[in-house]
Amino acid sequence: MRRTHVQILERVLATIPIALGVAIAVFIFMRLMPGDPVDIMIGEAGGVTQEDIHALKTELGLDQSLPVQLGRYLAGLVRGDLGYSIPSSRPVAVVILEALPATMELALCSLLFALVIAVPIGVVSAVRQRSFIDRTSMAASFLGISMPAFWLGILGIIVFSLHLRWLPTSGRITYGFEPATITGLFTVDALLTGNMPALWDALKHLALPAATLGAGVAAVVARVVRSSMLEVLRADYVLFARAKGVVERAVTIRHALRNALIPTVTVVGLQVGTLLGGNMIVESIFGWPGLGRVVVDAIFSRDYPLVQAAVMVYALTFVVVNLATDVLYTYLNPKMTL
Amino acid sequence: MRASLVRGKVSLVAGAVVALALLSMGFLSGAPLKAAGKTLTVVIDAEANRADEAEAIAADLRAIGVQADARIWEWSALKDSAVKGERQMYLTDWGSAYFDPFDLALPKLRTGDRGNYSHYSNPAFDRAVDKALTTIDPEVRRKAYYEAQSILYEDAPWIFGYYLSETEAARAEVQNWQPAMDSRINLHDVGLTRGDTIVVGMKTDKAVSLDPAMHRERDTETVLRNMFDGLVTRTWDGKVVPEIAESWTTPADNVYVFKIRKGIKFHSGEALDADDVVYSFERVLKEGAIGGRSSPRKGLLGPLEKVEKVDQYTVRFTLASPFPVFLQGLVHIQVVPKDYIQKVGDDEFARKPVGCGPFKFVGGRLDDQIVMERFDDYYGGSPDLPPMGPAKVKRAIFRMMPDPTVRIAALKAGEVQIVQQVPPDIAASLKRDKNVQVKSVEGTRVYCVELNCAKPPFNDARVRRAMNYAVNWDRILETIYGGTATHLATAFLPSGFGFNPDLKPYPYDPARAKELLKEAGYSVK
Repeated sequence: MRRTHVQILERVLATIPIALGVAIAVFIFMRLMPGDPVDIMIGEAGGVTQEDIHALKTELGLDQSLPVQLGRYLAGLVRGDLGYSIPSSRPVAVVILEALPATMELALCSLLFALVIAVPIGVVSAVRQRSFIDRTSMAASFLGISMPAFWLGILGIIVFSLHLRWLPTSGRITYGFEPATITGLFTVDALLTGNMPALWDALKHLALPAATLGAGVAAVVARVVRSSMLEVLRADYVLFARAKGVVERAVTIRHALRNALIPTVTVVGLQVGTLLGGNMIVESIFGWPGLGRVVVDAIFSRDYPLVQAAVMVYALTFVVVNLATDVLYTYLNPKMTL
Repeated sequence: MRASLVRGKVSLVAGAVVALALLSMGFLSGAPLKAAGKTLTVVIDAEANRADEAEAIAADLRAIGVQADARIWEWSALKDSAVKGERQMYLTDWGSAYFDPFDLALPKLRTGDRGNYSHYSNPAFDRAVDKALTTIDPEVRRKAYYEAQSILYEDAPWIFGYYLSETEAARAEVQNWQPAMDSRINLHDVGLTRGDTIVVGMKTDKAVSLDPAMHRERDTETVLRNMFDGLVTRTWDGKVVPEIAESWTTPADNVYVFKIRKGIKFHSGEALDADDVVYSFERVLKEGAIGGRSSPRKGLLGPLEKVEKVDQYTVRFTLASPFPVFLQGLVHIQVVPKDYIQKVGDDEFARKPVGCGPFKFVGGRLDDQIVMERFDDYYGGSPDLPPMGPAKVKRAIFRMMPDPTVRIAALKAGEVQIVQQVPPDIAASLKRDKNVQVKSVEGTRVYCVELNCAKPPFNDARVRRAMNYAVNWDRILETIYGGTATHLATAFLPSGFGFNPDLKPYPYDPARAKELLKEAGYSVK
């Protein structure tokens, strides 16, 4: 057990060179892209002169050579200074910390939505292979994988917001309902403070975006659960359990599902990346104030410091999720080690 | 042996240099030679949102025998390449804030200016627009701009394009609402027959800053102008009228003296006087004046040199040279409270902004929603924009809703009361909804196809004119924009000063286009 702790610590420490590598790579790639942040910001605005453009570039240090800029950036990083966003002059750390909880809340709820739907469907489909339920749910999951989020999202808005009027079209919470900030996740904060109206309002706002984002994940997960269940159900230990006279439900859940979850955990781990990175479309449709929108916007405006920091956040999240996946393996299958 | 090898190498290098020179002149890449005149080959570059238009233009050009293809780009990449002179023709657009060609035709077409992506240069044009900028006599300026338009029309550095009308919509319960040409959404003047909160669906996905001196973005300004007022403002159709200023005089061509209205209060309770006005402008003018950073809005003030307090309610502005569009620029500078900012600092001011506008800041986030409440001690606003007095609605919320379909759905569902930018295809069906009012206003952005005037084939004015005759704009604009676009004769907008209404756009005339191309030595269909 102690060994596991040490190994986890090692893995955590290993994220430092990864973060540094990502920072340098993004720094270079962003500057290889054509276009210039100052030009995009004021180059076409009324009354600006060439001198204004040069002055602002000098002020931001963009007239320095690349190695000097990189050196300054890394020196800032070491001090924990991520710099200022170029078009808005706001500290990058503030911009990211402000947007991150919204993205995390949406990703977690989508994941929850996906698992709650997908795991039972996968299990039932496997147990009753080739039944009506199996065929329908697999057809639905095929649809879920194929349907683009922007289409599904707008469809949801038209049905549930415009016609049925059950859910709001967009936004994260109605003005006046915000719970006191503890974690920044509105649902969690509302629960912690016992603020039920806020929880209800936040959930109503979450429903459509989480379902839209979660649909694709649910479809993938359902198919993986089904296929690994099918494999496990044919294994000898399942046959043995049945021979022992274990109740069928216990066979399915305790013996089969637990083992079938190992490949599922891998897939879910990978999907978390999709949920965090691929949500800019969903965030845009639902006016969700998350990190995805911030990053896309920052890339288009060549907001170097913001893109660099945001990509680092993504990279670190990937590393952490991978680590969590590996730890979860050892729990599901004690024979495995980190 | 050795020498001949060297000579061989030299001739190889020389050959490469010749080939490169030919290539750069467009002989090898753009226009393969043919016995009966060369075929004109062009690539039309565009961003994805104008792909249909680029394809339609390419089809029109192919119809007269030009080999034309459209290619899609990300804007910054395209601009970078166009500025380097590597592109042939590219779809671009440029907005104007001054209701004057000063920030449109000048930066786009004056020799070597910052927006001159077509590399156009004509000293006669430069002289004409420079003349219009160095005098404040409107008749002289108008004449100069007329001359510039005639020169442009003949030179045809672009395939002249169009401007769009901007369509906005509001719920039927919103009263006294009118979209403005400068995108202002003036919530002070609107009322509601039902409820006391007005929610605006913004087309942007974020406001850049809450500090009116720290951004260069129209949508941000649209939000902030409900919390901050300026010395002057505009009517919805672009006329400059007093706001915080009561009146002004111009004792010399480069001097403006403003009398400030008495009894104006900031949301913090402080009274507004000349010190606040001077401070607000110095904050924009001086380098590093905002917590070590400079305001990106300085350019709006042109050659403004000095802002001085004359007495408690009088301020004098001195410019280095006459600047005829100074008042139009002033509209975009908002007055901020000196004492408050000096007390709390610039960063805190950007978090909790305090102005003297009809609404005060309550809370919210730049990329989510910004919430304001009525300021009951408001001085009343511009007498030229009735009604005066405090705002009619109690609360105003600006929600960032970048997706147009969702904005419209929210409007129909009654979640928001006003939306920006209704796409033309949705506007038609929205007009049939009796709970909604739809209004349009002339846009201030010119859309065109710039031609690279520095290189063949478009260094020949005949070829450029041929392109203008070859494109069937009426059909393209009707198909894509459904009658919300107006074809332009040059790079000048009708809403801007000095527009010549007698100059008519190039007609669609493929026969004339072919004649011109033949004259220039190209084969036609």
